[in-house]
Amino acid sequence: MSSAAHSEPSSTGSSPPMTHFKITLRRSAIGLGDRIKGTLVSLGIHRRHQTVYHSHGPEVAGKLLAVKELIDVENVPTELVKTKEQQTRDRRPPRGYQVVGNRRNEPLIA
Amino acid sequence: MFGAFRPSHVNLGGLLWKVPWKLSPTRKANARARLKKVDAVIEAVRASGVQCGSLTQALQLPKEHEMPARDKYTVFTPHARGYRKGIHKVPKWTRLTLRTNPKGF
Repeated sequence: MSSAAHSEPSSTGSSPPMTHFKITLRRSAIGLGDRIKGTLVSLGIHRRHQTVYHSHGPEVAGKLLAVKELIDVENVPTELVKTKEQQTRDRRPPRGYQVVGNRRNEPLIA
Repeated sequence: MFGAFRPSHVNLGGLLWKVPWKLSPTRKANARARLKKVDAVIEAVRASGVQCGSLTQALQLPKEHEMPARDKYTVFTPHARGYRKGIHKVPKWTRLTLRTNPKGF
């Protein structure tokens, strides 16, 4: 009980409270039957290595435990919950250059 | 006995897949790693503070370090001598919960 103090929801004031599950599908449900596949669909997961976030609750917890062999679960605070668009943006590589100026709007010097 | 048309398992029966009798040390190590990952999932759900029936059930499962090797690598079967077979003979065994066996077997 005391070993997982870093992820307890009511931990000390320094760290924000954990409010969400971060769920990543690691193993496919191919061949496991429609109930397991339906559980993943109801969690909003449709491909491997997809990450979704759900707030803590008994319904979500039951779903996670039904597919516990297939997923990774972390507890995260509300600030770290990311939408699909944010995750895509985080994955994008840096452009490799920086725009330092634009000569189009500069006055012509004759 | 010898030659191109000699009788063999493949010639007589077509496809032949041989499943080894027991797991290799590498496959056993992979199985242990998978068990630990499932333990981590259960621990994360427990740490979230949510109460539900499936969590109670999941917490009753033995953890990887609590399981005897017999339960990690073999499962109960009523058909085999000794009432055990290799866990890798169970279809989809890497994605199923096969931690407990009948008491006394």
